[in-house]
Amino acid sequence: MTTSGISRRAALRMFGIGALGAAGAGVLGACAPSGSPSNGGDPKSKDFDFTSWSLNEEAAKPSIEKIIAAWEKTEKSTIRAVSYPYNEYLSQLTLKLGGGETTGAVHLDIAWLAAMAQMGKLVDLGPVAGKGGYTDVALKSGLYDGKQYGLPWNTGSIGVIANSQLLEKAGIKKHPTTVEEFEAALRELKGLGGGVVPYAAATKVAQLKDIFPWMQTFGCAMLDGGKVTIGDDASVDAVTWYKKLHDEKLIAADVDRFDARALFGQGKAAFYDDAIIGKGVTSAQSKDKTLADAMQPMERPVLKTGDTPQALLWGGVIAIVKGKGQDAATEFALHTTTDRATTSEYFAARALPPSTTVGLAAPEVAKDTFTTEWTRKITRTATGSPFWQFAQNAQIEEAVAKQVQAVLVGKSKPKDAMKQAGEEAAALIKR
Amino acid sequence: MTSTTPTPVSAVGRPQASATRAGRGTRRRVRKDLLRSRIAAWSAVVVIGAFGLLPVYWLLATALSTPESTFQFPPKLIPTDLTLGNFTALAENDQLIKYMINSLVVASITAVLSVVVATYMGYSFSKFRYRGRRSLMHLVLASQMFPQALLLVTLYTVFSSFGMLNTYSALVLSFTTFTMPLCVWMLKGIFDTIPDALLEAASIDGASRWRTLHSIVAPLAAPGMIAAGLFAFVRGWNDFIFALTLADKEKQTLPPGLVSTYIGEFQTAWPQLMAASLVVSVPVIVAFMFLQRYLVGGMTAGSVKS
Repeated sequence: MTTSGISRRAALRMFGIGALGAAGAGVLGACAPSGSPSNGGDPKSKDFDFTSWSLNEEAAKPSIEKIIAAWEKTEKSTIRAVSYPYNEYLSQLTLKLGGGETTGAVHLDIAWLAAMAQMGKLVDLGPVAGKGGYTDVALKSGLYDGKQYGLPWNTGSIGVIANSQLLEKAGIKKHPTTVEEFEAALRELKGLGGGVVPYAAATKVAQLKDIFPWMQTFGCAMLDGGKVTIGDDASVDAVTWYKKLHDEKLIAADVDRFDARALFGQGKAAFYDDAIIGKGVTSAQSKDKTLADAMQPMERPVLKTGDTPQALLWGGVIAIVKGKGQDAATEFALHTTTDRATTSEYFAARALPPSTTVGLAAPEVAKDTFTTEWTRKITRTATGSPFWQFAQNAQIEEAVAKQVQAVLVGKSKPKDAMKQAGEEAAALIKR
Repeated sequence: MTSTTPTPVSAVGRPQASATRAGRGTRRRVRKDLLRSRIAAWSAVVVIGAFGLLPVYWLLATALSTPESTFQFPPKLIPTDLTLGNFTALAENDQLIKYMINSLVVASITAVLSVVVATYMGYSFSKFRYRGRRSLMHLVLASQMFPQALLLVTLYTVFSSFGMLNTYSALVLSFTTFTMPLCVWMLKGIFDTIPDALLEAASIDGASRWRTLHSIVAPLAAPGMIAAGLFAFVRGWNDFIFALTLADKEKQTLPPGLVSTYIGEFQTAWPQLMAASLVVSVPVIVAFMFLQRYLVGGMTAGSVKS
């Protein structure tokens, strides 16, 4: 039937209106503000936003809300708390910072700082950072392209955690310091039987970036003057060694951070890689209430005595967005990251090490042996990933991880896989 | 398969003794075969059922477990440390209740809007012939092919320009972008099955086009409309990324709300997350229970054209 209903002209008119609406929306989208150096508003405003993924999290929320409430009371200002889940944080923030919706102070993982700074909307906090009394390594974590875009809040690292009970059981009296000693220790631990995974190293793509410090241990710089060096002999040696551990069942297949914590928590792994906060997280989910006492930070073994132990710098900084509330947000960030009482209280609640010399020397922090040992043994020599400066960092890590996994499951040879990984990383950097 | 030989019949019509025995043997074989096929069928049902229900069981088991036993390795199929604490904690969380109300509001309005608009569009595509009709139909479908991330960025910019971010309207309109195309095609299929003669008869009886659609066509297509509405409701209820991007904490719906609350940087509160997931799936389950008879009819209504 073609006659009933609306006439051809009327139908076309109706759809024409719809199409115009859709096109109009598209045009508006194209005209929306983007790329402006500031997110607008009065920089002198006392009210501002504070964006942090931790504002959602049960463990962190009360302490951060307390810091905010105290600031609001003292300064007679209003802070709007904004939060996104950690795994979505970077993409949400990129969109909203670009769209002009994000203002004030922004909590950033140090791995994301470069990507955010490249948007040109963050304030250079160089003059302010000098007042903070931050440690050198902490200051470096907030640096990008020679400018201080982030005030360090918590500075730690990702390193190796050992279970002293298991080491003792296997007759290992001191932490292994070289790769050779480490391998020998893993064999001793394997001898314990009972399903012990000597080293719960990452073998799933999600966390296989943990191999980067091992590559560095074997002498691979990863990036040298803008040139990707993954694929060189050192990286091939590192992956060949990892494959050997895998084949000898000294590390296990299909392990990510969560699995590693579960294995370690049940006393079935003697070593695993984690951030400093791993102690609290892993012991909290373990039935063994003595586990926390058995957890020890360990310097990553080196290839030959005298080498520098490798570890990945890890932590959070607070950056400031140009525009509304810029000045007050800067003061808030400085206070939150440097005020001794505030940092000590935050440490007590979350076991995240402060970033200032005074904060680290505070009795509440200094008496925590695990933290002080960690700072001395691991954070001291930790460095950021050379790939953090690229917005494609996550894709680079994934590309390398996939190639490493291909080696572990026997689908690829270390040399071919690392060559491929290097080429993919180089291509991503050029994009 | 055993063949079934016809039983020989005597001249007087009585089966012979040997034939009787053979007949019994055949029946026994048939019964055995039947039993075997029933066992095979039931085994298949049990395996498929277990495959389908295991995630639900795991969800329930984790929701009733303590965090320590959740991370036991290797995992235990039957949990030992049972607790209701994860459910009680949920009831005390006001923010989650707010997320749930937001979800109900947004998903319901999305469903209604999608069905209303899709009814007119589907009817137009089904019953009228005009230039560009086919292209428009395919354009509606093609909009489903765009990656969600691409739509999201455009929608974010548009809503931001109109000052509509962090409103229910932004969520409803954005959800409608992915629910409506399929609703349109579903309802077009249903309208196609309604004979044109019925509409002509209505026209001869003096019914206006408006009246024909609302009083004659709509009641006939009601099961399909309900099915489409349910589909839109569930899609809206489950959306994560649009709700996370376009709404703040006040207007956010359950999926981003649950992720924000329970999935953190360092750990995931699995038992609490599972308890919350179980509770929040109740409205969808209830909706399905009430509307399932419409759903099956509605989904298949356009599949056979009379």
